[in-house]
Amino acid sequence: MSKRCAVSIVALVAGLMFSPVLRAQIAAPQAAGPEAKNEARKWNNIPPRKSAYTGGNPAPAPAPRRDLSGIWDAAGLDGGFQVNGANEHPALFPRKGGAAGSPLEATAGAEGGRPDETGIEHPLPYTPLGLTALKANKPSGPGVRQVPAALSNDPVDQCDPMGFPRMELFELRTFELEQTANKVIYLNEWYGNWRIIWTDGRELPKDPEPRWDGYSVGKWVDDYTFVVETVGLNSRSWLDHAGRPHSADLRVEERFHRVDHDNMELTVTIDDPKMYKEPWMGLNKFPLHLLPSDFDMPELLCSPIDMAEYNRQVADTVAPSRGKKK
Amino acid sequence: MRKKLAAISLAVAGLLAISVPLFAHHGNASYDSTKTVTVKGTVTDYIWSNPHVLLKLDAKDSSGKMLHWIIEAQNPLSQTEVGWTKDTFKPGDQVIVEVIQAKSGVPVGRFGAAGSTAGLATQESLIVINGKQFKP
Repeated sequence: MSKRCAVSIVALVAGLMFSPVLRAQIAAPQAAGPEAKNEARKWNNIPPRKSAYTGGNPAPAPAPRRDLSGIWDAAGLDGGFQVNGANEHPALFPRKGGAAGSPLEATAGAEGGRPDETGIEHPLPYTPLGLTALKANKPSGPGVRQVPAALSNDPVDQCDPMGFPRMELFELRTFELEQTANKVIYLNEWYGNWRIIWTDGRELPKDPEPRWDGYSVGKWVDDYTFVVETVGLNSRSWLDHAGRPHSADLRVEERFHRVDHDNMELTVTIDDPKMYKEPWMGLNKFPLHLLPSDFDMPELLCSPIDMAEYNRQVADTVAPSRGKKK
Repeated sequence: MRKKLAAISLAVAGLLAISVPLFAHHGNASYDSTKTVTVKGTVTDYIWSNPHVLLKLDAKDSSGKMLHWIIEAQNPLSQTEVGWTKDTFKPGDQVIVEVIQAKSGVPVGRFGAAGSTAGLATQESLIVINGKQFKP
């Protein structure tokens, strides 16, 4: 299965400068020689900024049929991080005229302290149960309900698994998809998540024992669109960094649409009638960019020991009320 | 394996970030982000670790009392993205840094300056190491 078209990638970079400053951005600057720089670049690669992907290639190669495989980059710095909550529903008030990415936009309620999400720009259709569950989750990230880190009960702050779909609705950076005859293997950088999407035609389990990453099956609905359904998700996980809740009845649909050789769009739909009156999208055609197949994703795993040490040295000293939490 | 392809593609890094706010996992709720505090002192430790890279330094306050500061940046991945490494600071370095300080007044802070949304260094805070401004 030939996946890479050298011509398209070279065309993509045509006209772009290769500067030593950019090399330093990609890997830790080491010794001056080109040999040392090549060695550094092989490991712990940091993907380029989103701006590197746009405008460079007027005619990318066409999408291969029924093929998602490769290392995909969400250009995290430019949209994948989602620290205010899932991309389509950040827990922020309407921007006071600030452009996207500007400080005005960023601070629209980001300082937190509110009891609920009343007034956010893209509200969610909580059921009464959903609203109660939302309020029980105390997020530490910038958003209208932010609390100091020491008072947060975010499970990932104590190194609980990220779970699904939070691995896509928070810190979406780089992940790899590999297809075999009967499955798609999904390897996600942030917190080292992996999951299997079965393509062998099996049905989703009817009464599954909940798992952090659930149970997933996928199929091609056309030659360029792969749809995945996931059920059986452990309700202890949060949906996103703003503490959106879910029940064990949650169904998640992912729609991977291969646009062309270098680009894919991801749409994630949340369907949980217990918590939300209607389905909603966490991501809507979120752009993903293909990276070279020898891109070594850096590791970021959560160490409970390191977390406890951070809490002891920093979080608990600036808001020393950890004992009151939960 | 198309190494040349990899090398070229990795070169597609675009321009260095200019004033794009980078958001902390932990918001600024505990910090006074209305005031820039300049801390000048000696590095005692530099911890390159999740969840936050930490810089520890000894600095005298205005009354001459020695304070033991802890200043947090972001996680190592995010710091690498803006040019930091595990060797950016070393114990003994003389540094000047801008931070936002804990509201309680303890010598704990986050890299940043007044009005910063996330306090991520090199975006919004001055850093001088041994007399040279840090500009990755």
